[in-house]
Amino acid sequence: MTLLQLKKERLVWQARQVAGPDHRRQSSFYPTLDTHLKGGWPHAGLIELACGPAGIGELRLLLPLLAQAPPRLQVWINPPAQLNGQALAQHGIDLSQTLLIRCQNPQQALWSAEQSLNSGCCSHLILWASTLTAPQAKRLQVSAKDNQALMFWLHPQAEPSASALPISARLSLAPLTTGLRLQVYKYQGQWPQHPCQVDMHDLWPSLTIATPTATPVQTPTLASTISVLPLKLR
Amino acid sequence: MKWLYLHFPSLQLDSLLHQQDCHQACVLVDKNEVVQANPEARQLGIKIGTGLAQAALLCSQLKVLSYQAKQEHRLLVQLAQRLYQTSATLYLDPPQGLLLQTSDMLRLYKGLTPYWQKLQQPITERGLHYHYASAHSPLAAQVLARAGNDRLLTNQEEACELLKQLPIHRAGLDSKLCLQLERLGLNTLGQAQALPRSALGQRLGQTLVTYLQLLETSSAPSRPAYQPPERFRQRLELLYEIEHSTALRFPLKRLLTDLEAFLAPRQLRAAGLSLGLEYREHACQQVHIGCSDGEYRTEFWLALAMLRLEQLQLQAPIIAISLKTKGQMPWAPLSAQLFEPPGGKLTAGQLISRLQSKLGDHAVQQVYLQDDHRPERSFYQGPPQSHHQTQLATQYLRPSLLFTLPQALHHKPNHLWCILSGPERIQSGWWDNVSICRDYFIARNPLGQVCWLFRTPAEEWFLHGYFS
Repeated sequence: MTLLQLKKERLVWQARQVAGPDHRRQSSFYPTLDTHLKGGWPHAGLIELACGPAGIGELRLLLPLLAQAPPRLQVWINPPAQLNGQALAQHGIDLSQTLLIRCQNPQQALWSAEQSLNSGCCSHLILWASTLTAPQAKRLQVSAKDNQALMFWLHPQAEPSASALPISARLSLAPLTTGLRLQVYKYQGQWPQHPCQVDMHDLWPSLTIATPTATPVQTPTLASTISVLPLKLR
Repeated sequence: MKWLYLHFPSLQLDSLLHQQDCHQACVLVDKNEVVQANPEARQLGIKIGTGLAQAALLCSQLKVLSYQAKQEHRLLVQLAQRLYQTSATLYLDPPQGLLLQTSDMLRLYKGLTPYWQKLQQPITERGLHYHYASAHSPLAAQVLARAGNDRLLTNQEEACELLKQLPIHRAGLDSKLCLQLERLGLNTLGQAQALPRSALGQRLGQTLVTYLQLLETSSAPSRPAYQPPERFRQRLELLYEIEHSTALRFPLKRLLTDLEAFLAPRQLRAAGLSLGLEYREHACQQVHIGCSDGEYRTEFWLALAMLRLEQLQLQAPIIAISLKTKGQMPWAPLSAQLFEPPGGKLTAGQLISRLQSKLGDHAVQQVYLQDDHRPERSFYQGPPQSHHQTQLATQYLRPSLLFTLPQALHHKPNHLWCILSGPERIQSGWWDNVSICRDYFIARNPLGQVCWLFRTPAEEWFLHGYFS
């Protein structure tokens, strides 16, 4: 077998073929998250968010980003319930650039996602889907990268999918009284890190409580497990 | 030379055969008589005017189709529409002829040869057989072309010389008159022209005199010149019946190519197309394909149409398809930005129409706000880009995910739930019989979900949404 054949069948890995990680970032508008992710969300690509049960604050994490996005389409595919236009408009999202797609089956959802990304007129795409195979994830990742779009894939499992998908980032979310606890499993161009807390009190004062001021003796592992006793029901 | 005449002896047959690669002997028959035959049929000895029975004897594999004068006229108009791009003044001469005024166009094309090459291209593309001739008068060009002259003459003397030598029976006169002239011993047109006109008129009638006069007059015909239509409308007869919608791709592409050729020079875009599928017995089925942003390119419309046709169940085999535009708009640059976005292969409207073609109109929606206090009526989903958003959002905090139907909670929220805010009373809708009276709370459940709950006056609890 010649070297050329080996190269053709991708049996030889050449370091110079790999483009360096894309260091362009877009701010998430959460200062703690921005510092943790070295500048924010990737400029383009596919991000897996394992968010467990719906309603823990997964969209609150994305709304400030979407509100500040350039005037291109934002596509929402198969949300688990009706998207409340009032809530989106309250947070400054341009509803005229919002497209809502409901698909009968997962194949159609993936087709719509790929078409939307490839059209070049979509800046952000949010897809709710239970599973993605590696080839599907790769196709969406390439489409998103080529068309400068950022795609979020939300699914109701608590942990990211076991197989390492060829995508920009894999994260899991867990609820906290102060906001969200975010575990980064993979982030292109960075080493894995310990979990980070996203404080949502500044943006959603009535839904979260303020982060208690750090007591002198507090280790990072403890900080992530702090929970506040629930208030008594009136 | 001022006039050019194009004669298409087998216009309908050539158009039919051009769609499909057919190497079989094929004839068009009108009243049991062959009126058009392809070269394969002619090789077997079938001539124009041969009876159907004789033709069938000459070739057992003969494919026989019926001649339709209406369809042939439509084809002639289509051809005129295409040639109008090259030549400004042209006259239809049904059923099979086109007369073109060349004198104005020669200066533009710098000579007869480049002009002629430009004209030939669309005709050969359609696989049409043709005869042509140029002459000083419309009638002379017509007579020479029909006689199969096939020469571009540059001076009048040459044309007159050719006319003089033309046998009487090929001069396009009616058969009775031909017979009379031949009985007088006049075998060529030149012999008839040499005789005094008044004597000819007295003996053979005024028709011949008018004919001879027209051969010499170079003025334009009295009928109006061809005017291209405002809107695109075309019909394509299929040689074979089509049973699967995917097989419509090729005939459809031909129509769409013509559409592009129609729209592009006019700087127009079509906002929608209406595709008519014609069945032998059922009523014609109309398929609407829309794109709010408008488009003229063949590939775009073809992709869109195929997505729509994939979803379609054909009622019966299709015998013909027709295409017309629904709404035409002037072409305008699609992207207002010079530097961004980098991709921009489609506009939002084009993306929406593509998604709708595959998923159905109801699957692609946009959210609009509505002035109502009831949460489920404070917004609605409608077709994208259908109207402008003017309504302002409410000041009260609302969940981003809302259930269409509130879900009943089996147990009253207990001490494990944490009430974050509330109650907020919403009492509204007494005027349209969907009145509600609810006390809304925002609460976090043990799973960490931030829920939007409400309590009815009957102390029942419901979950209405998530502050996702």
